[in-house]
Order: sequence, then C-alpha cells, then structure tokens
Amino acid sequence: MNMKLLSIKNLNSGYGDVKIIKNLSLEVNKGEVVSIVGANGAGKTTLLKTISGLIPATSGEIWFEDQRIDNLPPHKITELGIIHVPEGRRVFPFFTVYENLLIGSTMPRAQKERKKNLEYVFNLLPRLAERKNQVGSTLSGGEQQMLAIGRALMGMPRILMLDEPSLGLSPLLVQTIFELISTIAKEGITVLLVEQNVRQALKLSDRAYVLENGSISLEGTAEEISNNPDVKKAYLGL
Amino acid sequence: MDIVQKKKIGLIVIILAIALSIPLFVTKPYYIHVITMCLLWAYLASSWNLFCGFAGQLSLGHGIFTAVGAYVTIMLFNDFNISPWIGMFAGGAAAVLLSTLIGYPTFKLRGAYYALATVAIGSGVMVLIENTMTLGPFHVGGAEGLIVRLMGNAPAYLQFMSKVPYYYLALAMLVIVVVFSYWLKNSRLGFYLSALKEDEDAAAALGINVRNAKLVAAAYSAFFTAIGGVFYAMLIRYLEPMAIAGPMMSNEMVFLAVVGGSGTVFGPVVGGITLHAISEVIQFYFSDMAQGLHLFIYGLIVVFVIMFKPQGIIDILQKYYNRFLGISDRGEDESSVS
Repeated sequence: MNMKLLSIKNLNSGYGDVKIIKNLSLEVNKGEVVSIVGANGAGKTTLLKTISGLIPATSGEIWFEDQRIDNLPPHKITELGIIHVPEGRRVFPFFTVYENLLIGSTMPRAQKERKKNLEYVFNLLPRLAERKNQVGSTLSGGEQQMLAIGRALMGMPRILMLDEPSLGLSPLLVQTIFELISTIAKEGITVLLVEQNVRQALKLSDRAYVLENGSISLEGTAEEISNNPDVKKAYLGL
Repeated sequence: MDIVQKKKIGLIVIILAIALSIPLFVTKPYYIHVITMCLLWAYLASSWNLFCGFAGQLSLGHGIFTAVGAYVTIMLFNDFNISPWIGMFAGGAAAVLLSTLIGYPTFKLRGAYYALATVAIGSGVMVLIENTMTLGPFHVGGAEGLIVRLMGNAPAYLQFMSKVPYYYLALAMLVIVVVFSYWLKNSRLGFYLSALKEDEDAAAALGINVRNAKLVAAAYSAFFTAIGGVFYAMLIRYLEPMAIAGPMMSNEMVFLAVVGGSGTVFGPVVGGITLHAISEVIQFYFSDMAQGLHLFIYGLIVVFVIMFKPQGIIDILQKYYNRFLGISDRGEDESSVS
C-alpha cells in the first residue's frame, strides 16, 4: 500500500569541495508528510536544493517514482511536480501578488490549469486575493510565506518541499502556516518539510528523519522520533 | 478608444513627426552627424538593455558584438564585394553565435563575477583583433584598423554622400529596437527575465529554465548590438579595434542605459540621446579649456545621476508622462512608459 514517491539512495552533494550531504538515503511515500529535522548547518537546505536540482549531486541516486532525476536541470524537475519553496520565502519583491502567483505556473503542465489553480489558491488563502495587486515587498512576513506556498501550489505539486516555512514568523503566524500545511496535506499533496521548529513539525508529520552532519542519524514515525530520549534532549529541550 | 489611449498615440505621432522633420531644419552636416550619433547611442544602449537591463546582468563587454558585427560585414564587403545590407545579417549571426558560446560558461556566474568575466572576454577579443592581420582570405588589419572600401554614393552598398540617409537609417533602427524592447518586455520571456533579475534561485526553483532564458535574450541583444556596429562602421568608414571593441564602446552602452534607466523600454533611449548630446555640447565648449575637462564634467554628471536617481532619468519623466495622461503617479498604468 505504501507507494514510494521519492527515494534517495546514498546521496552525496555539496558546494565545490565542501561536502555537505554524506551518503544519505531516505524515502517519501505518496500522501505522506515527512519532516527532516536537525540543527543549523546539518544540511537540510542543501538536501532540498539537491533534490530540486539547484545543486548537482556528486554521487548517489534520486528517484521520483520510476524516473531518475538527479541529473536533470531544475526546470525539468519542477515539470515533474517536485516544487520547492525556498528558505526565506524568496517572494519577488517588485512583482504583484498576482504576478508572483503566475510565475509559479510557467511549466506547460500547470499553465493549462492556471485559471483553476488561481481560484483554488485564492480560496485557500483569501488574504492573497485581497492583496492581489500589491507588490510582494509590501506584504508582511506571514503573508509572504503564504504567497510563497501559494506560488508553489500554482505549479500543481505532487510533492511540495518546504524549507523552514516558520522562519522569522511570530508564534501566532507559525500556527497559521502549520495549519495551512496540514490542510494542503489533507488534500492529498505529499509534503517534505524541513524545519528547525521540531515540535511543531513532528506534530503534523507522519514520519521524520533526523539529519546530523549531512547524514540521517535517526528515522521513524513522528511519534517514535518525538519520544526518542536523544531527540527530546537535543531538539525538544525536555 | 479612451482619452488616455488617444493621448498616447498623439504623443508618439508628435515625437515621430519631429524626428522625421529634423533634417529639414538642421542642414549642416556636422549637426546631422551629431544627432545621428545620439540616435545610434540610444540604439546601442537599447540593444544592451534587451538582455542586460531586462535580466539585470551587467555585461561590460558588449563591444565585442559591435566589433564582430562590423568586422564580419566589412570583411565580406571589402574582400568579397558582398553588400553590407546582406553582410550585416552574417555579422549579426556571428554575434549571436559568439554570445551563445560565451553564455554557456559565463551564465553560471552571478553579479560582479559575471561582470568581470565580460570585461576579460571583451579585452581578450580586442587584443585578438589587434594582433590579427589576416584571417583566411580576409584582411583584418590588426591594430592599424580596417578601412571601409569607398564606393561613392552607393545606396545598394549602404554608402551615401549625404549624412541625411544615415540619420533616417539610425532613426529607423531606433524605432525597431524600441518596438522590439516593448514586445520583449511584455512577452513571456520578458516576464521570466524580470523574475530572474529579482531572484535567480527562486526563479529556477519555480521551474523557469534560467539558462535558456538568458541565452535567448543575450542572442537578441547581441544581434541588435552587432547591427549597430555595422551602422557605425558605414558611418565612420574606418574600424579601429580600440574604438569598436574597446572598453569605451562597452562602457558607454552601460552608462547610457543606466543613466537613462536600465530595464525599462524608453530609459536607454532617453539616456542615450540626452547624455550623448550633453557630452557633445560639453566637448564643444570645454575641450579647449583644459585637456580632458569635458570628460571630467561628463563623469560628474554620470556619477550624480547614479547617486541621486538610481532608477535613471526615465523615473523623472515618468511623473510628467503620467500627469500628461491624467493618471495618478501610483496608478494602474504605472508601467506604461517603462
């Protein structure tokens, strides 16, 4: 019953001579929410960038269903439905909300469904509809994060990769964003979530991986991970 | 048709009418020549802007495209008697090829690193030309430069005794590049370019083929720039490596576009015409006062505009334009000029 959507085998990658991801393997099944938690500098962002093709893998394999994607350019990878919401939101500051959303649907597959998806995003995030003609830089941090997620949804993700969506947001907004993610997951979109906010991330995940120094040190269901004494001590402050 | 639309069309008609009738009032060849050069610089700045302005890539080596366009065309003309009207397309094609070859390795570079690479390639090409006397059957001329074979009044070979045809030619080229800029800015590619100008990583993560977008835009830019080089060659009738490929040529395009307003359709046009006109005027009045004083004044003007109006002169004009159209400064039609 578990359908593998994304599987990574013995992946190595990094920047030039600096190795960040070392011999990492993980799997994400269809419909799951999987978290990757870990400290600063563990390689979480690098891992997502490698999956979406922004950084080349030096060795190892990345499979999306039955297609190997570790040597594809980023635009081919997004075309398959692997959509990356980069860290720090990266909303286009001089584009309006509407234009920001449009640019999320440039791949042919999503272009055809643009109208329907716009409606869907505006329904899901009415705040964006209100601010349709405002430029990105005038939005609050939380609104920008919503826009970044909405923009990714315009690309019709089959797997949505979120990099630190709670970064720099007030506790109340963190709550809102996590609720949004769980709504999206309930609609059947697979989510791969990278977070420093371990407690919140584990709450809405099915499974989790703990990343340390570029390799997986622990994996299991979210419950197992949150009950693990080491994790409790290191990440949950218990 | 609403009133705003009518005003816009009216303005275009008036500007074109003035431009077309200038040779009727200005009869001295020297003045016609100066005005033609203003138009040529506006054209070159707009060509640079097609890629560098719209995609936010600082190329400081666009002189290689004027050089390749001009040299290929003139060599075909001098040695094989191929009319520059046809040769210019060969020159343009050579520039497109060169831009693609350069683009593959350099488009990975960001910001200052890309700019540095273009400086290096620009200087390299200039040195190459300076040290090449012949290339296969072609005479290149090395550092001596290349003289365009004179034909007298030969419209079929893009040579005229009068300055007036050159003026109209430059005007036509400028109109074409402006129309093309307008189309490009509002095209899908233009949308991609402005996205990658703002945030290249985010654009790539959203599925935009960043390298292809850059390659295509750079090819357009190289082609138009090369045609400008051909025009320059036919007007001056002498190619000197330093002048056509050197840093003066490359940097001037950047100054004019940036001072006018890079990344906008009309900015480089405004910058090219006004700044070049100013430079001619101060050269006329100040050059015999002290050596290089006019260049000093010119530099000061460039520095002040960049310091106090980093968006370019077009930003000031935009306000008057909006007022003329009767829409508010922050109105929905904000981007109509730029």
